[in-house]
Amino acid sequence: MSSLLFATPKELTGWLAKLASGYRVLAPRQEGPSVVYRPQTAEQLASADIDALLRRATASPKQAMLPQCETLVTFKSVKDAEDPSKLTTTLENPCQAEPTVLFGCRPCDARGFVVLDRPYLEGKFKDPYYGARREATVIVTQACPSAFASCFCNWVGSHPSDKEGSDILFTAVEGGFVLEVVTDKGQALVEGAGFADAADKVADVEAAHAAAAASLAPAPELTHVMEKVASRFTDTEFWEKETVKCLSCGACTYLCPTCQCFTITDEGSQLDGRRLRSWDSCMTPLFTLETSGHNPRPSKADRMRNRVSHKFSFYPERYDGFFSCVGCGRCVVSCPVSLDIRHMVKAAVEGSSLTFDDAAPAESPAVEAVPAPEAPAVAEPAPEAVAEPEQAAAPKAQKPAPKAAPRASSKSKAKKR
Amino acid sequence: MSEHNCGCSKNPYLPEVATVLEVITESPTIKSFRVRFDNEEAWNSFTYQPGQVGQLSVFGVGESTFVINTPPSCKDYIQFSVMRAGEVTSAIHKLQPGDKVGVRAPLGNYFPYEQWKGKNIVFVGGGIGMAPIRTIMLHVMEHAPEYGKLSLLYGARSPEDMAYKADLPGWLESDVLHTTLTIDREAPNWPHRVGMIPNVLKELAPSPDNTIAVLCGPPIMIKFTLAAFRELGFKDENIITTLERRMKCGIGICGRCNLGGKYVCLDGPVFSQAQLNELPPEM
Amino acid sequence: MSVLAGKELRIVGFLCNWCSYGGADTAGTARAVQPTDLRIIRVPCSGRVNPLFVLKALINGADGVLVSGCHPRDCHYSAGNYYARRRLELLKEFLPVIGINPDRFEYTWVSASEGQRWKDVVTNFTNRIHALGPAPRWEDVPARYDRPEELIESIRPLGCGAHPALPELKQAIKDALAAGLEGVLGWKQGFDAIHAEPVFMTTPEEVDSLIWGPFNVHNLAVYLPQYKGRKIGVVVKGCDSKGVVELLAENLISREDVKIFGMGCNGTVNVSRILAKLPEGATIESCVGRGNKIVVTAAGQDYEMSMAEIAQDKCRLCTKPNAVLSDVFVGTPTIEPAAPADGRLPALRFLDSLSLEERMGYWKGQMERCIACHACRGACPMCVCRDYCVSDTRDPAWVTQEDTVQQKLFFQLIHAQHLAGRCTGCAECERACPMDIPVFALKQQFGRMIQKIFSYGAGLDVNATPPLLTYQVEEPTIKEHDLA
Repeated sequence: MSSLLFATPKELTGWLAKLASGYRVLAPRQEGPSVVYRPQTAEQLASADIDALLRRATASPKQAMLPQCETLVTFKSVKDAEDPSKLTTTLENPCQAEPTVLFGCRPCDARGFVVLDRPYLEGKFKDPYYGARREATVIVTQACPSAFASCFCNWVGSHPSDKEGSDILFTAVEGGFVLEVVTDKGQALVEGAGFADAADKVADVEAAHAAAAASLAPAPELTHVMEKVASRFTDTEFWEKETVKCLSCGACTYLCPTCQCFTITDEGSQLDGRRLRSWDSCMTPLFTLETSGHNPRPSKADRMRNRVSHKFSFYPERYDGFFSCVGCGRCVVSCPVSLDIRHMVKAAVEGSSLTFDDAAPAESPAVEAVPAPEAPAVAEPAPEAVAEPEQAAAPKAQKPAPKAAPRASSKSKAKKR
Repeated sequence: MSEHNCGCSKNPYLPEVATVLEVITESPTIKSFRVRFDNEEAWNSFTYQPGQVGQLSVFGVGESTFVINTPPSCKDYIQFSVMRAGEVTSAIHKLQPGDKVGVRAPLGNYFPYEQWKGKNIVFVGGGIGMAPIRTIMLHVMEHAPEYGKLSLLYGARSPEDMAYKADLPGWLESDVLHTTLTIDREAPNWPHRVGMIPNVLKELAPSPDNTIAVLCGPPIMIKFTLAAFRELGFKDENIITTLERRMKCGIGICGRCNLGGKYVCLDGPVFSQAQLNELPPEM
Repeated sequence: MSVLAGKELRIVGFLCNWCSYGGADTAGTARAVQPTDLRIIRVPCSGRVNPLFVLKALINGADGVLVSGCHPRDCHYSAGNYYARRRLELLKEFLPVIGINPDRFEYTWVSASEGQRWKDVVTNFTNRIHALGPAPRWEDVPARYDRPEELIESIRPLGCGAHPALPELKQAIKDALAAGLEGVLGWKQGFDAIHAEPVFMTTPEEVDSLIWGPFNVHNLAVYLPQYKGRKIGVVVKGCDSKGVVELLAENLISREDVKIFGMGCNGTVNVSRILAKLPEGATIESCVGRGNKIVVTAAGQDYEMSMAEIAQDKCRLCTKPNAVLSDVFVGTPTIEPAAPADGRLPALRFLDSLSLEERMGYWKGQMERCIACHACRGACPMCVCRDYCVSDTRDPAWVTQEDTVQQKLFFQLIHAQHLAGRCTGCAECERACPMDIPVFALKQQFGRMIQKIFSYGAGLDVNATPPLLTYQVEEPTIKEHDLA
């Protein structure tokens, strides 16, 4: 591990309070039973209860880079003095990003930004609004102390102390926190913080990471997820059965750290108006409804098929086999009817009629192999679905996932029709 | 406020302000709008390929996607043909010459005309689907010696619904293009064919040898015309079409126009039937 | 600009074309001197005034709203103003819960010949608004994040043990399936022991997965309209059955298509309350219910909690634990307690204890974290417009895509207003909210005002007409609001 620093809880909040003078500091705050990321002032941070700052947020921190609603363009027009029906229109681009520290997100959340980076920043067109915020934001991630029942980051090539996407990763140890600086941006943030060196705490950190990994139910062995989910596309009956209880509400997509969809609408008028970008959800029928009345995804089964396929087949197909799901489980916990994406993916994969010759070693398994004994079924809708923790043979010092999530090496496309 | 720190040279969401130069009423529901960017520098450096689309916006109402249906050689304006249907298209239909609009273009891919050199091309346009055909057809006609035989089959519901009336005499008399016009049902004083496009196509029976078929139109017309082409022996890789989806961003991010892993706005709208066969059937 | 710029307030007037607009015209023709604050919008009839017009004006900064129509018995369309009277009276009673002073809204009657009366009405109303001053702005009101923590005491014993009649219920469902029912909506265990999930049972094996107990929180009536025309069954708790009744009353499903299975309910839990008692993220290994206590085993430790600590608020005040309508009712009915003296849930009690401005601040603080997912709408059995919700239209544009508190709250007002007289109080909107926003309080406010004015509760009688869909020529419970 690179630079390791130790901070007591008091030092940590003091550091955050100091940062608040130069940054917008987004940190979790309890509001009712929910935990929400809010910009917090130096005073709030200085006096903050550290446990409150470490709670896992109800909604993902996606809003730090992609606000629920933002102005893309403002327009103003002036009328011609001679002919008031003629307007001169000027456009302004309010693209501004405040220097921001995003504190306390979890490794899955931080990885969510890596997932969003691909469509937003890596294509032919770059999204300057997202890009500016991404650039201006330093991500300080908390290594998960333990997994939730709904967590499944190990299904998608990650683990509770994954550093991908984080600038600093901190781990709770006896008496305080060990901060691991991951990037230069992170280094600049701890510059002058006065934290002690924590080289002597490596063992504690590793133990904490191993304990967290062990608390996570082992992932089922799912291979060729991308192809198998894709092969279910025409299996209408499957999707209809899986979505019987879906309310088509879209809460899953708004809470998701990787759901990238938005809509663009105009408000005001040509004289004084603005073009807004706001979150949108592929679970609503309006999302794809065309003016003619035609809708390529008229039913909730079509829409769920798109959501699950996007995460586990379309996105990986487009981006090198990476999933567009970080396994945070928010869609599972917060679904009003407890619809479980793990169950859908597992059912889609296990019931697939596709066969692969897996002899070739190039075909790496779909899921990072946490040494799993007998692959207990996490998502099986059976009572006490969650495996006993002692079953989850703790890997000693878990290596960060080799980026390979489900890299399907050969492009031997499964037949889709 | 115009300064921003996003470090981008070009903001793909920021439209060019353009002026409506001319409005042509094509049919009771279709109007064509000729527009030109106000910023001369932007206009002079603006290039596009036949088949690429643009987001045309009425400020305060919203954006909608249309194909640029002028050939790229046209340096005075770009033209969009708009069928009145929803909120934005209704607002566009109210535009008068001199009005300001926003244009984000060019977006999407284009017809692979480089690969058609030396081949015959059959263009088939149905209704408003004639718009994308117009741009590629005019472009190919400008370079007619480089291609084989060119022919057009253009169908509309009735003579009134037929767009590009100003172009039709020229197309009918052209030396490089064989034009067939058809309407769905008999109408007085209609000297051309009567009948649905797929049926007329089968009567015309173009040879599939060394021939590319380019077809655009409403989904139901595409479906049957595609079947007709296949019946005539055309291979799917030689049948080219354009897709329409609800779009917002136009740059492959907002997530609604996808067909499997492909975004119609970014990877399309032009696809060969062979490519479409590889994509999930979600029409 | 008016010479009164800065002194004028923004008052919106909705005037019916046939009487009040004419009355205003008469006043104008007679050169009656009137205040100039009123912006008049002419409508065909006071019955055209959707209460949402008024709410939208007030939420977006109007200082006052006046509605004026034809006198009762004089409506150009015979009965438009009778409907208006009911809706607007209810609206006036509703306003305080969102922190809007009900005096900022008034409705009255002015005929076309009553120029003098119009002058008096507009003068008096304007003076009233000036006395109140400019309406507080949402931007300026300090947000509050405090919420009531108190747990209300249950009016009946709540329990969470195994229901002795469950096998009997399963058998009844199996019989019904064998007799040709396509499927039956029920619950099975979800992803862990404290989460249930809805299931559409079509086979005996699926019926075996049916559970009944404190985790059966979902109101399955929400699914019924989508099965319209198909013969299916639904398992209901008392509260759910009210949703079924209301759907039947509104002809959204037909009686012969749906078979209702009921058992006595002993209360359900608020899962957030269980989770709050466990260490964050603790994996739940099992959960056993006995008597009025559950024991949750999580991360190797047992946590005992009583229903008094974890039950949903609505269950504590429930007077209808048994299905109000059923085809098959198994087991002994649960004892039905008398209506409590105070039927308010904690959020409404808390709101009632706040000043108007504090209530604005409360909603501001709560709605800030709304992510506009509209799960509240998705989970509502009475939100039957489904894919055609008015809040999704661009024209008319009821709500914008902006993420301001006003826009988000206005969506909630649309929901609450459309449920006025229809909401059966299942509170699924609030349970479904992933951000735990107490949105049910808005519906409960409408509900208690409906009870107060019309002595009506929704979902109890399939033959009842919701009070806003009918009227009486003389309304004994509505007093005239005379501004003249």
